Amino acid sequence: MNTLFPFGFPLATEFYLFFYILTLVIHVVFMNYVFAGTAYLVWAHLFTGGPALRRDQGPMALVLKDWMPFAVSAAITAGVAPLLFIQILYQQEFYTANLLLFHRWMSILPVLIVGFYLIYLMRSDFMARRSGFWRRVVVVGAFLCFAFTAYSWTENHLLSIQSDSFWGRFYGEKRMVFFAPELIPRLALWLAGSIPTMVVMVSWQLWYSQRRGCEIPSRDIERSAHLALGGLALALVAGIVYGVFAGSPIRRYFFGWMTWLYFLLAVAGVGLQAYAWLQQRQETALDVRYLIGASLGALVTIAGMTVVREAVRLGEMVHRGARDVAQFYPLHEKAFGVGGFLVFLIFFVVMIGMLAWCVILVRKGVRPDQPTTQG
Amino acid sequence: MSLPYYPINDFDPAMKGMVIGGLGIFHVFLAQFAIGGGMLMCYFQWLAQTGRSALARRFLDSYFAWLILLSFVVGALTGVAMWFTSIQVGARTIGLMIDEFHWLWATEWAFFCVEVVSGYAFYRYGRFLADRSRMILLVLYSVAAWGSLFWINGILSWQLTPDGWLKDHNVWSGFFNPSFWPSLLFRTITSMTVAGLIACIVINTMRDLDRERRRELINRASHFLGPMILLLPLGVWYLMSIPADSREWVMGGSAAMTMFAAIAGGCTLIVGLYALIGLIGQKLYIDGLTATVLCFLAFVASGGGEFVREGTRKPYTVRMELFSNSITEREVAELRRTGSVTNDPYPMRDSGQYPNDQVRLGAKVYRFQCSVCHTVTGANSVVFLAQTWTTPQKQMNIAKLQHTKPFMPPFSGNAAELEGLVQWLSWEAAGRPMSWSETTQDRTAYLRIGSWINEAGTQSAQNLGLMRVDREGQ
Ligand code: HEC
Ligand code: HEM
Repeated sequence: MNTLFPFGFPLATEFYLFFYILTLVIHVVFMNYVFAGTAYLVWAHLFTGGPALRRDQGPMALVLKDWMPFAVSAAITAGVAPLLFIQILYQQEFYTANLLLFHRWMSILPVLIVGFYLIYLMRSDFMARRSGFWRRVVVVGAFLCFAFTAYSWTENHLLSIQSDSFWGRFYGEKRMVFFAPELIPRLALWLAGSIPTMVVMVSWQLWYSQRRGCEIPSRDIERSAHLALGGLALALVAGIVYGVFAGSPIRRYFFGWMTWLYFLLAVAGVGLQAYAWLQQRQETALDVRYLIGASLGALVTIAGMTVVREAVRLGEMVHRGARDVAQFYPLHEKAFGVGGFLVFLIFFVVMIGMLAWCVILVRKGVRPDQPTTQG
Repeated sequence: MSLPYYPINDFDPAMKGMVIGGLGIFHVFLAQFAIGGGMLMCYFQWLAQTGRSALARRFLDSYFAWLILLSFVVGALTGVAMWFTSIQVGARTIGLMIDEFHWLWATEWAFFCVEVVSGYAFYRYGRFLADRSRMILLVLYSVAAWGSLFWINGILSWQLTPDGWLKDHNVWSGFFNPSFWPSLLFRTITSMTVAGLIACIVINTMRDLDRERRRELINRASHFLGPMILLLPLGVWYLMSIPADSREWVMGGSAAMTMFAAIAGGCTLIVGLYALIGLIGQKLYIDGLTATVLCFLAFVASGGGEFVREGTRKPYTVRMELFSNSITEREVAELRRTGSVTNDPYPMRDSGQYPNDQVRLGAKVYRFQCSVCHTVTGANSVVFLAQTWTTPQKQMNIAKLQHTKPFMPPFSGNAAELEGLVQWLSWEAAGRPMSWSETTQDRTAYLRIGSWINEAGTQSAQNLGLMRVDREGQ
């Protein structure tokens, strides 16, 4: 295909691909907060840095603990939207992978419930009275639950692009666990890539308290910048390892006609983030200009990589002889014909209004001097 | 033909319907709590800000913490779980629902986003806000929660009564279907009931209030149980709106369905009488244990209701459109010609356990056509049900499956497949002996089976008008 993504497909396919990517990006943003955020909490609790540092009591850890329940809700809610579109775009592939993994797949739900409650438990008065050991157990447990969920999505994704004959063998052998060499590097790429997104989101939250008069120690600002830079570096390494394990066809999609621009954008986004954090590192207060730079960079990187990820999927399905992409077109066409889109658009706008209203009410109603962390 | 084949998992000894029904009970109950809870909190906020009840605000904050902890976590995730389970039980059904209604589902999702954000804003900042802002957040929350019921109710009720949609395939004909309004109102009132009962439990946990004050709060909360009186006419309206054959199963035609419906009705009656006479009429106090028992009865009632809802659709998952075993009526004739599992790419698991190819083929046919409603030896065991039948009896009753029982779809395979199924049933009933002789040379049997299949027709019993209720309707 020698047009830029998502063009070059029939209109209906382009349309659903666009919505899929858009909503998946939103999911990825919140998922990054949860995934990297709980990973950071694990680190901060296991390596507190002694009484001098107390990472587990640092501004970043406190903000993360405070907002994690909402972030998990947001990640899950935001996950439902791409879940809807994936069922239109790749219905049979997605369902088949779900069915093949069976209990393995279904287990992400109880695991997520446990992870969610561990997050609430982590913040409770009850936990505050326990010893450090138990606090660490809870934090590690919560992270493992979310990491398991991320692992499962990657596993399901990779299984969904296998060929029919592979699926048949997998089923016949009563397997319930799928493994591919690129699975771990791919997951590592997700985790490492989550770190800079999480740091910039937390930094905005800290910036907000800074604006309300709460001083953020410059040591912590520097540490955030280092964390983000470290995350970017790790993501680059993981990306290279992934490229090696995934083999040459996959590498080709990165530079293919469909995606070269997105890939370049993603790389440029990494550059922008790195630049912003290098600058921010030297400042004594969080600077809104650098935060905007880092956020833009992160968004461009995520969006670019999400498109490349889609091109890899489309290319891989053809490459493995799994499916001809054209066989999906009539299905998309049919879905495109059903009504309700206008109603959705109207309510979507109403939703944005309502969400804005909630935010305004809270911002107007809560005085700056009120402590708003929830016990 | 582009019939999608999916790998089919074995849920033995549970029936697939039991799995989805069992999960559905929890999810529906929690969702009802979220919906009714929003309304109840608006009511208490109103009581507080108009000075009608000094205690209302105290109650609100403890109630909301419960709501968040239960409904935001388990409620939301069991919702996703319902979706994933539906894929496990009938991928083609959920696929069809997505294809037809994805924009309405997306609309429901927009409401859900509002529910999460307004709910979380209230949970976190409600204590600091003025009454007016609190009320707005609660109203947004309630509208959003009820709105998601509104949308999902249209999609779910369409499965049983798609009437107008069958003719024009228009989203709105499907959405505003005959059972839409009765089931929406019914569910709204059960949501209020659940919220009121849980309020009684929560009030009992507020130990720092004396009994008299708790009684005052309970009397207020019990106002939410009053509308239960409408459940009876709404239930009748609902029953009148569903197809006559489905109604007949609930009202005696199918023992299991009738029993579930009776349990649901009985539990509702007990809760309703207690609420109307005791709590509203005599303004009685209700202790934590009694409130919990009533709540449990409401749980059982909504559970019974869910089973009935899942059960009365048989043999369809989308009435007149898609059979429970993921075959459409239009495909039956073709599958009878080509064989229903000829193109099924998924091999039998442990395929060496079968004594010969014919039995193996039969097991595959069972997996594709029957396993969605039956198990081999567990609940609704097909082997058990047919064990006393003679071979010709099996051949004929399965060939004429929709005539044997109207809640089964027509048999959709060829004569060789049917004979394989019969041999597999007999082999299973005989205790799976090591050797079993094939009957593939029995030409007369094949001819006989073929003509029975032809006689049966390719349509469901409902479409063939085989049932008493159909004839009465004419
Ligand atoms: C839509 C769900 C559904 C499907 C699909 C289905 N059945 Fe049934 N079947 C039922 C129900 C419900 C009963 C009633 C059980 C009872 O009466 O306890 C039943 C009863 C039976 C009985 C006993 C009938 C009697 O009169 O006692 C047999 C035998 C049977 N099924 C075989 C099959 C076979 C073989 C297939 C596949 C070709 C099949 N069923 C597919 C739902 C289904
Ligand atoms: C908070 C826990 C979660 C985490 C950490 C998480 C993580 C991830 C990751 C890492 C991926 C990318 C997989 C890959 O490309 O290899 C992904 C994809 C996805 N996630 Fe999540 N996820 C979470 C919860 C959810 C939930 C609850 C839903 C659904 C309601 C969801 C919906 C999706 C969808 C639809 C995709 C795209 C899958 C594909 O294209 O194959 N996620 N998630």
